[in-house]
Amino acid sequence: MTQATLTGAGAAPGLVLRSARRIERRRMLMWLIPPIAWFTVFMLVPYGLLFYYSLGHAEDMRFVPGLSLANFVKVFTAEPYLGVILKSARIGLMTAVFSAIIAWPLAFALAFHTRSAATKFAIYLMVIVPWWASYLVKAYAWKTILGTNGILNATLQGLGLTNEPVRLFLYNEFSVVLTLTYIFTPFAVLSIYAQLERVPTSMIEAAKNLGAGGWEIFRRIVLPISIPGVIAGGVITFSLAFGDFVAPVLVGGSDSLMISNIVINLLGVAFDWPMAAAIGLVIITLGLGLISLTGWLEEKTQVRL
Amino acid sequence: MRAFGNRPFVISLASAVLLFLYAPLIVIVIFSFNDSDYTGLPFNGVTLRWYAELLSDSKILGSIWNSVYVGLGVVVLSVTFGLPAAIALERYEFPGKGLFRRIVMLPIVLPGIITGVALLSFYLTLHLRLSLHTIMLGQGTALMCITITEVFARLQQMGKSQSEAAVNLGANEWEVFRHVTLPGIKSSLFGAMLIAFSISFDEIAVTFLLTGRENTLPMTLWSLLRREVTPEVNAASTLIIAVSVILIVIGMYASRGKGAAGNGAH
Repeated sequence: MTQATLTGAGAAPGLVLRSARRIERRRMLMWLIPPIAWFTVFMLVPYGLLFYYSLGHAEDMRFVPGLSLANFVKVFTAEPYLGVILKSARIGLMTAVFSAIIAWPLAFALAFHTRSAATKFAIYLMVIVPWWASYLVKAYAWKTILGTNGILNATLQGLGLTNEPVRLFLYNEFSVVLTLTYIFTPFAVLSIYAQLERVPTSMIEAAKNLGAGGWEIFRRIVLPISIPGVIAGGVITFSLAFGDFVAPVLVGGSDSLMISNIVINLLGVAFDWPMAAAIGLVIITLGLGLISLTGWLEEKTQVRL
Repeated sequence: MRAFGNRPFVISLASAVLLFLYAPLIVIVIFSFNDSDYTGLPFNGVTLRWYAELLSDSKILGSIWNSVYVGLGVVVLSVTFGLPAAIALERYEFPGKGLFRRIVMLPIVLPGIITGVALLSFYLTLHLRLSLHTIMLGQGTALMCITITEVFARLQQMGKSQSEAAVNLGANEWEVFRHVTLPGIKSSLFGAMLIAFSISFDEIAVTFLLTGRENTLPMTLWSLLRREVTPEVNAASTLIIAVSVILIVIGMYASRGKGAAGNGAH
């Protein structure tokens, strides 16, 4: 500063640099402050409030502040919380695995077996439409298909395969997983396709020229390259299925309540805010862990092309 | 040749998957025309009765407007706050950037109900009355990451050379944004707005706890579905499917056209 004033404007690179940095900093804050303010007010403050609530307890449907970790202990020890969290995770995992398996052939056909750009675009659209069709409608559709008066039972009876409607199709974990798998398959197709589309044609041709068969190309090139897409789609599918509360109510049975249903019941029926807050915080922590894990996994499995 | 493997086998597997995706939707559409008081076989003949009943149901019509209102609000919020976030994340390094990114992405993996519980406790503490606006704020928070990731991806593709050239030619921050950044991200921003609107229009998990006296369309359908399944629901579902198909096709063609033009310009 003093040097700059002494030697004049012509020899003040330090000053120019510093003020340039200051301008840059001001510009950065201009972009950064609105979103930071938003996420602070609508995420961090509410999470802080959850923490405050989780430390207290409910008495006669009223909140009593406190400083106890008892609710967190209950999440991991008392029934049904840990059991339901694990069951939701199991349903989420099954949904993610099944939708990836069902999605793969379609994603593969879309990336490798469409002969013109127009066909590719048309099939791509055909995948997107069921993805954007209403969530509730899709869950409800399976209720009408699997129910005792449903299409499936009517067909089976029409074919003479059964005399009475089969009740096994609906109101159990099977129908929940089937419905969720149905809902998330288009999304899995899109994320696997995005990854398969990156496989260079030249690489497939080179493999063919070196005498590789279809199975070998699949196993050694295409399947490994698709893995980050499978993971990316799988994490979202898992999370959405894990937190779902629509399918358990519409097509699930009395024992297929998932963690979101439990939280809703805690708020609406039991008025146990502190318990709901504790479950929320545990799941928020798991979610943050999942994001970090996914970033790391995708980095690890990503193939440089 | 890009294709490999047994083509008939691949095509038939893929067709089976498409059938799986479409069969339930087709069932709904067919039953919306069935002249029978409950959803199921036999098929008694074609009627438009359920559509007529639907269109005279003021509760459903009102909730459609509520959903549109909430959706538009969510789009405005996610552009106002998501766009700056994407620009900041792409351009600058700042302390806590990794944490900021994680927090922004958190609502994607978090069950909507948990986002709802957190916001509900916030509203109740402030004694805010639940309304369409509290839904809007909740969905805005949950869906902001869509705008951020879409715009961020496009900004990364664009690179810095154009905006640096503009700065060297004496453009100020606003001019760079107006004449370089905005035209470059226009199509992905439009896409993100469309996606945010359609998710909002269909959203139920975040909305569930934040809803006041006025309901959005999914909430109204949800209460209908829980009470009794009338064929009116099939008609509503068919209309929802039709509208979303139209919106998707418009969106896809718009972004494809602009994408192609953008590629030509480079």
